[in-house]
Amino acid sequence: MMPQGTHTVDVPLDIQTIWNFVHDMNNWAPLVPGYIEHEILSDRRSTWAFKGDLGFMKKTVKLQIDIQEWNEPSEVTFDLKGLSDNFKGGGYFRAEAIDDKTTKMSGHLDITAGGMMGAMVNQILTKFVPQTAEELTEAIVEKLLEINLVK
Amino acid sequence: MSSSIPTHWDKEVDVIVLGTGGAALTAAVAASESGANVLVLEKTHQIGGTTAFSGGVPWIPLNHYMKEAGFEDNREDAINYIKRLALGRADDHMIETFVDKGHEVIRFLHDHTPVKFVTPKSYPEYYARMDEALKHGTRSLDPAPYDLNEIGEWGPLVRQNPLFPPLTLEEGGAVGGIDFQVVAERMQNNIVTMGRSLIASLFKACLDRGVETLIETAGKELIINEDGQVVGLIAETKVGEVLRIAARKGVVLASGGFEWNKQLVRAFLKAEFTHPVTPPGNEGDALMMAMKAGAALENMSEAWWYPAMVDPTFEYEDNVMAQLGSGRMGPNSIVVNKYGRRFVHEGTTYNDMPRSFFNYDPVKIEFPNEAPVWMIFDQQLKDSQLIVTMTPGDPAPEWVDQADSIRELAEKIGVDPDGLEDEVRKWNEYCEQGVDPDFHRGTIQFEALTNGGGSPANNLGKIEKGPFYALPIYLGALGTNGGPKINENGQVVNFRGEPIKGLYAAGNASGNPLGPIYPSAGGTIGPAMVFGFLAGQHAANS
Ligand SMILES: Cc1cc2nc3c(=O)[nH]c(=O)nc-3n(C[C@H](O)[C@H](O)[C@H](O)COP(=O)(O)OP(=O)(O)OC[C@H]3O[C@@H](n4cnc5c(N)ncnc54)[C@H](O)[C@@H]3O)c2cc1C
Repeated sequence: MMPQGTHTVDVPLDIQTIWNFVHDMNNWAPLVPGYIEHEILSDRRSTWAFKGDLGFMKKTVKLQIDIQEWNEPSEVTFDLKGLSDNFKGGGYFRAEAIDDKTTKMSGHLDITAGGMMGAMVNQILTKFVPQTAEELTEAIVEKLLEINLVK
Repeated sequence: MSSSIPTHWDKEVDVIVLGTGGAALTAAVAASESGANVLVLEKTHQIGGTTAFSGGVPWIPLNHYMKEAGFEDNREDAINYIKRLALGRADDHMIETFVDKGHEVIRFLHDHTPVKFVTPKSYPEYYARMDEALKHGTRSLDPAPYDLNEIGEWGPLVRQNPLFPPLTLEEGGAVGGIDFQVVAERMQNNIVTMGRSLIASLFKACLDRGVETLIETAGKELIINEDGQVVGLIAETKVGEVLRIAARKGVVLASGGFEWNKQLVRAFLKAEFTHPVTPPGNEGDALMMAMKAGAALENMSEAWWYPAMVDPTFEYEDNVMAQLGSGRMGPNSIVVNKYGRRFVHEGTTYNDMPRSFFNYDPVKIEFPNEAPVWMIFDQQLKDSQLIVTMTPGDPAPEWVDQADSIRELAEKIGVDPDGLEDEVRKWNEYCEQGVDPDFHRGTIQFEALTNGGGSPANNLGKIEKGPFYALPIYLGALGTNGGPKINENGQVVNFRGEPIKGLYAAGNASGNPLGPIYPSAGGTIGPAMVFGFLAGQHAANS
């Protein structure tokens, strides 16, 4: 079982505007639900700390993100792995121009726990991961609209 | 908010029960079974209280599940055992009531409600090596797995149990050896065990009997008539709506202890404990209501103590979650105070071990073992046991202090390095000799409960392989257990020993009728359910 989730939204902005925002992690890192801090280690590598809300409890985790690809203007893909806990996965942001004023934007996340408790943790993550993918994508869209529409 | 008799009631019922833990729901079942119209009020947004959060195990002498499993028990032994542990601090009459009525309550629940148990055959009594103890089998009962879907929309409201996966005690839910695949399947299918099973099945029994439950509605004040009889209650909803509710037959205080009320903790307990292991909500509301009604109090300086540990990366309802921790009785580990000295048999029961934190040194004028104290262990233990949330094989997390030498470790955690080095040297010598003359590790049942009991092989292991680790142990509790004194009907009595009419208490909202004891797994929920049942029954028939 691989806990994963993709969330797609039509954004009333052109694809380049979206790319300009999404390609730089510093722009959207604070929008990750439960964000605590992040540190850019190189142009591809960063470490993150956030507090995940699992519903019945909250868990602080540290993880490392390695950007795999930047395909301007349509895709950023990354791998992730837990530094504090045993899990790994990846994700992407994808943008697809519908017309020159509208873009379909998708955020995807998959995280799989390993180790002795893996099966149990993955069961918990089946709800958490899609929810986080949705919340993050929505938060990015909201921010994009805030910056670009409300002047 | 006034507690004088109102001219108009917002609601009128026979019996009001405060709380939705084990004591409360058993009281509600018993009262409605006896024909009463029952209203249950729960302060928080979830049902089940600490009971849902717990192992859900009641300890009940002479229960029929034991008999079916072939375990012999007898009344005299059970009574003598409780008396031995209570050290003269419980009424014989209450002990006898518990022993005589407990198995009847369990039988009733089994025959007439979905509340079912199994006997955890491989889970012996905590003090099995004492002369007075049951030698074979157990009086503890393990809630059978239960389908949460049975209670429909109430299912998601049953408080989650973040500490125990959905396994029975026997399956290893509390003691390790866990099959995480089974856990995952149960989670997927909404099958609950332990405290959640007990609460969900008791709640179903309430639903089947038409008991009404209001959540986010706290009992605030008792309404008492001029004859001193409790005739109702003022409750308040989360949004501040005040309800005046008449209770024609009685009010059962079953709203847990006072562990989350700092003022009451300071006023009554021997030390201010910093780490309640319970969900927030138990703030001593019942105690304050009972004191105002003139109740006698008992067992007030006691709690169900627990040496709590913490993985600071877990939070429950905005507090860092205190954990039960584990590993403290394993080999390759000792517990020391700030002088780096051992001060207690590390593997004694969780209720007993923290009592040593209260020792007073009248020369130095201090409590030398005041928490936090430190569990010191080595890589061998780290590699072989689950310690708090650290699984063997995974790298040690940031929140665990570690060092390559004992001295360096002591300096890191602010413990006397000479003392700790000397203590570890001594411990390693004892391990070589296979005997701990200081505190008798390796000799009692509890320190290797499901592994044949304490022995040098199970519990004496050198601390010699670095890196060395240290974890703080805090004074925690599974709830307080002092409160209004009750009689054999669960009625609250005043200081003259007379019942306060219409007022009942059970569970951690009452003084524990068995005194300051935790006889084995289920030692708190056992009396909570039994006296909850008796209270509900008596109220309904009054
Ligand atoms: C992790 C853990 C494991 C444990 N395992 C076991 C075990 O297996 N066996 C055992 O015997 N003991 C166990 N214990 C201890 C046991 O859970 C408690 O002692 C017991 O559940 C207390 O039951 P109760 O019904 O008195 O109170 P609770 O279950 O705490 O219920 C009290 C309820 O009252 C509500 N309330 C509070 N104030 C008000 C108010 N003013 N109005 C209305 N409602 C109110 C609370 O929100 C709560 O829901 C464990 C404890 C913990 C923390």
